[in-house]
Amino acid sequence: MNPTPTCLDSETLPTRWVRSTLAAGALLLALAGGATARDIFPFPLTSRVLDNGLTVVLVPFDSPGIVAYYTIVRAGSRNEVEPGKSGFAHFFEHMMFRGTDRYSGPEFGALFRRLGSDPNAYTSDDVTVYHALIGRDGIESVIDAESDRFMNLKYSESDFRQEAKAVLGEYNKNYSDPENKLYEKLRDTAFTTHTYRHTTIGFLDDIRAMPDQYSYSLEFFRHFYTPSNCVVLVVGDFDPERTLQMVKKYYGAWAVPPFEPSIPAEPAQKEPRSAHVDWQNQTLPYVAVAFKIPAFSAKTRDSAALDVLAALLFDETSPLYQALVIQEQKVDELSVYAPFRRDPGLFMVEARVKDQADVAMVRDRIYQTADDASRSTVDAVKLAAVKSNIRYSFAMSLDTARSVAGHLTRYIALTGDPSSINEMYQRYDEVTPDDLKRVAAAYLTRPRSTEVTLSGGAQ
Amino acid sequence: MLALSLLTAWWAAAPAAAATPTVLLPVPSSPLVTFRIQFATGAVDDPDGRQGLTRLTASMLSQGGTRSYSYEEIVQRLYPMAASVTAYVDKEVTTFVGTTHVDNLDAYLDLFMQVITEPRFDPRDFERIRTNQVNYLANSLRGSNDEELGKQSLGVLLYGGHPYGAPNEGVVSNLETVTLDDVKAQYARCFTRDNVTIGLAGGYPAALVERVTRALQSLPAGRPARRALAAPSPIVDVEVLAVEKDCMATAISIGYPIDVTRSDPDFCALLVANSHLGEHRTFNGRLMTRMREVRGLNYGDYSYIEHFVQDGGSTYPLTNLTRSQQYFSIWIRPVQHQHRHFALRLAIWELDRLVREGMTQEDLDETRTFLKNYSRLWAQDQSRRLGYLMDSRFYGTDDYLATLPAKLDALTLEQVNAAIKRHLQCDRLRVAIVTRGADEFLTALITNQASPMTYDAEGIPEDVIAEDRAIAVYKLNVNRAASKIVEVEEMFK
Repeated sequence: MNPTPTCLDSETLPTRWVRSTLAAGALLLALAGGATARDIFPFPLTSRVLDNGLTVVLVPFDSPGIVAYYTIVRAGSRNEVEPGKSGFAHFFEHMMFRGTDRYSGPEFGALFRRLGSDPNAYTSDDVTVYHALIGRDGIESVIDAESDRFMNLKYSESDFRQEAKAVLGEYNKNYSDPENKLYEKLRDTAFTTHTYRHTTIGFLDDIRAMPDQYSYSLEFFRHFYTPSNCVVLVVGDFDPERTLQMVKKYYGAWAVPPFEPSIPAEPAQKEPRSAHVDWQNQTLPYVAVAFKIPAFSAKTRDSAALDVLAALLFDETSPLYQALVIQEQKVDELSVYAPFRRDPGLFMVEARVKDQADVAMVRDRIYQTADDASRSTVDAVKLAAVKSNIRYSFAMSLDTARSVAGHLTRYIALTGDPSSINEMYQRYDEVTPDDLKRVAAAYLTRPRSTEVTLSGGAQ
Repeated sequence: MLALSLLTAWWAAAPAAAATPTVLLPVPSSPLVTFRIQFATGAVDDPDGRQGLTRLTASMLSQGGTRSYSYEEIVQRLYPMAASVTAYVDKEVTTFVGTTHVDNLDAYLDLFMQVITEPRFDPRDFERIRTNQVNYLANSLRGSNDEELGKQSLGVLLYGGHPYGAPNEGVVSNLETVTLDDVKAQYARCFTRDNVTIGLAGGYPAALVERVTRALQSLPAGRPARRALAAPSPIVDVEVLAVEKDCMATAISIGYPIDVTRSDPDFCALLVANSHLGEHRTFNGRLMTRMREVRGLNYGDYSYIEHFVQDGGSTYPLTNLTRSQQYFSIWIRPVQHQHRHFALRLAIWELDRLVREGMTQEDLDETRTFLKNYSRLWAQDQSRRLGYLMDSRFYGTDDYLATLPAKLDALTLEQVNAAIKRHLQCDRLRVAIVTRGADEFLTALITNQASPMTYDAEGIPEDVIAEDRAIAVYKLNVNRAASKIVEVEEMFK
């Protein structure tokens, strides 16, 4: 199953599910100014809210000559509430590269080309992120051009229609992979009401209808591309004070009132659901099992405990993985994906099974593993190993401006507040074996489950 | 984890270090240590009838147990460190790569060296890894990723009868008969102490070099005889391999072998020309502009002058995939079936234009400025920087990244356009196509049927419409005798 964010031009995650957490404990990293002794994030961080509501987050980092410039729009496929509009947040991301009166699309590209930069963007359930790595000397030019397109985007209906075809091309490139179809079906089955029912790229019929949605695109821009719904994040080799002044100067005139979308709440699921996908081409069979989990929170331990549980139950070191993949060799891929989301989401386990006859057995053992977790107490050594993995994963990934920006973006997307990264790591440190039992009993249950199988043509 | 005293004894027991080549990138301030242990062996060393054996052998090291630990135990020990050992196998080099935090250096080093020097060769690991490799070819490649299927098909087409001529993972029939004894023999022959280069980067203590060198002395001795790499077979006009598959869209890869590597004086000029035509995953190139931006044909269109595999979630190439023979290629991401003929014509049309017209001074200046800045992003972390240094050693050049800006500055327009004339061509090409209705498409190609472009949007500029008319009848000399259709189930068999 492929949780790849949907992008202007990008495949930013491995094709297999990976555990979503890159977190850490508090004592590993050298602390710098601006961080407190309990904070995991080791670099000085300045966060300011401008008068128009735009949040600016500045993080000086040792990346000689290189700056990561991110604009985080806290809108994604979650915001696509109208019928027939699935995939629109991502489509709109493409339109943001089509220019303004001051910088046409080609001129915008030429500016970044002169800077040796590779501006790009991606969209997921909760967020759309525009990002570029630039040389230090180019920062003012980029702030100028970026602020201009967020304030003055302008594109023709003809451009709009052409871009819709590129989105269809993106769908086509992704959907030779049966895992994408499995993922689409899983969400479509698990949710009946909430917009998490559709994937970020959207349903194929909606994508085909996109060229006719020009006027809706203008409305989408007006609703969600507002200063109070955006965060500018700068990480790397720059002068924070000068940069803050530049952001104020160029974004200061941006004044669009906030808009609160009405995201429909998903009703409580009371019984298991299931579905099947017939795949026309050759593939090994797949089974995916999903459980409904609560919205992300760094205030309680539930999100952290579920993330730890994902590792303990289904990661490469887990007993189930060792049994099915290494010892019995019934399964060649077993993965878990329980991403943090602003609204209640899914804890998903997926297996590619070597023999169709074993699919039901594999499915049952996934359920059994989840069920056992609600009754048995996790060994303290194993819990410590997961926490150590979390800690070192985080520490080892803070090696470029891009990766530091990536970590912060994830938490800004969820809460709007970069300091929630520190809160969350505190929650990881606090997770106990009893927490794990408690969240397994509360969330990884059959009434909250959805299963989808996929089988293909002749082998 | 092993106690340090045990480790010390183990290292001390090793024989004195021989002159193992090393590539070192000390970064004293870094809390990380990166290992790149590279063997001068790859798919070219697969014995006849055993294609995929080098890949399988490398996986038996990186995904199998050691004499002391089962694979399960290795995984359990690496897990708290958030570390791993990954094997990258290409045609001529195989590289084991991993990074650890300095906190865990001793324990990680012990495991890493065991993985390379003390493979367990467990029959259970062998069965799992062999089956995975077969499934990659028979299911993942044939069934799940048409873009990769197109690229791998191009590799087969480009290098038929050549040691590069199969996927690194091999072919199914060979893997079905390969034995654990074959793996052991391949290890003893190719993964030897006389065939290894040590790459280290980061905040490692000076003594680490000696420790790694000594540890690797326990590898088998000797060195595989290099297989002669003849020139790939000559191309006659445009040769097509059409893979018939029930797919949603058509994937196309175009290429031909090229007589240029990073060691060639023309490389830098071609780097500029290629960036102008189709820099990977940017919106700069002519291909991307004319195919996606102007016409909305697909998601992306790029070109390459070296074998290129993207490094994870970045847009930059994996390092340590060095080859003594390279190829030029164009990657057309899936297009709707009804536009496949037009898209192929348009890509070759743009290549043709570059060959005929060359670049302008303005093109050169803009591309040069881009590459001087963009190349700074190619090695932001120490692992990639080390990889580039090792690649420079392979090609016998100075530090490629460090010297590139000066070389770019020194380029003249005459040099670039002369290099284009010398090395780029549009009349002798090999084209791999994954499509539905391959027979119909191949017939259309051979007979040069017109392929008019249609739009569902109004307001397409007149100059684009006019160009479309010319492209729709642009002649491709597809060689009927050298072209063929293969059912997808027959690929990599």
